[in-house]
Amino acid sequence: MDAHVLSGAEGPLLAVENLRTYFYSRAKRAFIRSVDGASLGVARGETLGVVGESGSGKTVAALSVAGLVSSAPGVIGGRVELHSDRVRRNLLDGLERHVRVKEEDGRVVAVEKDERGWRRRSETLMAGVRGKEIAMIFQNPRSALNPYSRIGAQLVEAIRLHTGFKGEREAKERALHWLERVRIDSPRLRFDNFPFGMSGGMCQRAMIAMALCAEPSLLIADEPTTGLDATIQSRIVDLLGELKAETRIATLLISHDISVIQRLSDRVAVMYGGTVVENGPAAEVLGRDAAARHPYTAALLASIPGAETIRKKSYLQAIEGEVLDTIEVPRGCRFYGRCNRVTEGVRGRCASAEPPLAEVASGHKVRCWLHARGADA
Amino acid sequence: MSGTLLEVTDLRKHYSQRRGLIPALTGQGRVIPAVDGVSFYLRENETVGLVGESGCGKTTIGRTVLRLTDPSGGRIVFGGRDITHLSRAALRPLRREMQMIFQDLDAGLNPKMRVRAILREALTVHERPGDAEIERRIRELLEQVNLKESKLSNYPSELSGGEKRRVGIARVLAVRPRLIVADEPTSALDVSIQAQVVNLLRELQKNLGLSYLFISHDLPIVELVSQKVAVMYLGRIVETGLADDIAHLPRHPYTRILWSSLAGKQSTEVSPRGGASAGDRAWGVFDFEQPAAGCRFAPRCPLYQDQGRPAVCTDPASEPPLRDLGKGHAVACHFA
Repeated sequence: MDAHVLSGAEGPLLAVENLRTYFYSRAKRAFIRSVDGASLGVARGETLGVVGESGSGKTVAALSVAGLVSSAPGVIGGRVELHSDRVRRNLLDGLERHVRVKEEDGRVVAVEKDERGWRRRSETLMAGVRGKEIAMIFQNPRSALNPYSRIGAQLVEAIRLHTGFKGEREAKERALHWLERVRIDSPRLRFDNFPFGMSGGMCQRAMIAMALCAEPSLLIADEPTTGLDATIQSRIVDLLGELKAETRIATLLISHDISVIQRLSDRVAVMYGGTVVENGPAAEVLGRDAAARHPYTAALLASIPGAETIRKKSYLQAIEGEVLDTIEVPRGCRFYGRCNRVTEGVRGRCASAEPPLAEVASGHKVRCWLHARGADA
Repeated sequence: MSGTLLEVTDLRKHYSQRRGLIPALTGQGRVIPAVDGVSFYLRENETVGLVGESGCGKTTIGRTVLRLTDPSGGRIVFGGRDITHLSRAALRPLRREMQMIFQDLDAGLNPKMRVRAILREALTVHERPGDAEIERRIRELLEQVNLKESKLSNYPSELSGGEKRRVGIARVLAVRPRLIVADEPTSALDVSIQAQVVNLLRELQKNLGLSYLFISHDLPIVELVSQKVAVMYLGRIVETGLADDIAHLPRHPYTRILWSSLAGKQSTEVSPRGGASAGDRAWGVFDFEQPAAGCRFAPRCPLYQDQGRPAVCTDPASEPPLRDLGKGHAVACHFA
């Protein structure tokens, strides 16, 4: 459906197509379609910001790309094409034959997965990729760092594993270099610190150093500022911005915080109900007065108190209803139930068929029937 | 002008920390001044916003004001009555007039009780209405918080985050409070649901004449809902004033940094690469046991650096007092 993913001048470094990752909820006795046909691409040197509310599938999509989904059934289909200087492959290549999905009326009723065969194949595909080509920083840095190991030792281990700096001494020099680059002061002192002796902001800096020290092609930053204090958040965003300018590393940045996405992203993908509903240049998708945008993006932006709302002390424009639960995916548009822009002209289509991602401007796509006039319905 | 509902004077709350064997045996614990001399007042039908970073003492103030924890010093006057030292029993009738909404969506929602039972319990804590009256009040509460009647038979685990919040608010409204301390009421919610809850809280204030002590780190939301704002740093109020003034004419360097860091601007006040303030050394690490001598903010303060590190800022004898600038705007800084 979304075969033609956006491509930069050199072709995208990462192209995710029709990714599907499901989980089984025992409590609800149903399959949850966390990621359900998401497509996105990251060009070299570009930061793609992924926004969405909790349950929209953004984190699961990132974990799927990094091959870190452990719950069953997990990733069940799609393509994750990684085209870096060292690796060119579909990280989900051939995995589909280990999975069979049975669906009835938009509800997944059974997933048969040969877990061992799938995992073996996946580990082969991910060898030399995870940690090396694709590095990740997580929301809670303290839990991602080893609490029993000193910061320096953890960095040295990663450097010796992933880079050409194999000697103890040169690896240590390299580690100190990275601590400096993430602006941790007195790196020589911090080198011997344990994570518990460091503040949240400092742990996040160490985590960023850990991720970047392998010199990966793609950095996945999952809510890198969430849970940190406002002033520290701002500094981490500044740091990520500086590192982006210095290293030109391609980044998949996930955040529910639109201001963070605005500050760091070149392009933005908006996720809702497990799929990408809008995708385009950051200024166009999140800009103040973008003409064509998905009703969900518009509503999301409107629900944040802006200067005007605060000045007039008016009520916020809330999105009515609740975030879509992705067990029973509606036949039509996933946002239809909460959408306030449905016109009589499109209502029938909104209720009955999922709109395609249609191009509204160069490199800017929207999954909405209001913008799909050119597309064949 | 409406009357003063809550007046807090020189409130202090010190926690003692006894770490390790020797302090435990000798009884020499360290004292952490979580709240260290805070004064403010709240009028009827008014919202005062309390902002600051984690650890600054804002939640402690909320809890102490409601006497959920006992103050170490100062005075709390609620509805004209000094409640600082009231006994548990004497406080009980007052409890219904002052309620708290917790950050945790599950707080106060018994997981083994259906929504109907939760609301019923809240309605019968302080009085004994008949069954018909209870039913009528439950319906009224549902309407007030905009919750579907079908949710009454759900358990909390079957509710979404927004619905849990609504039930939590309904539970608080059941006792008809005058003052609600709302501790980060929206921070656990998604953006689109946050807006619903903020609107709901404002609507309730308008209809029921509630007063809110609104604790949050989300500055735009605080600015939107509050008439007055107090900015806290390490247990003290460093700036207070009308919400508009605090947002648009901030005077204290900390308030400025806080606001600029959230306005999506680059934090230009302190150069990210400039000398001593380069990393998180001065920035991220608070020492609660020993706040800096003099002005607590001095170690992180860009103004202190700009002024050439004046001695007065670190003089233990001269912690800057809240200086009145007129229009209720006050700032605790020697130079702002």
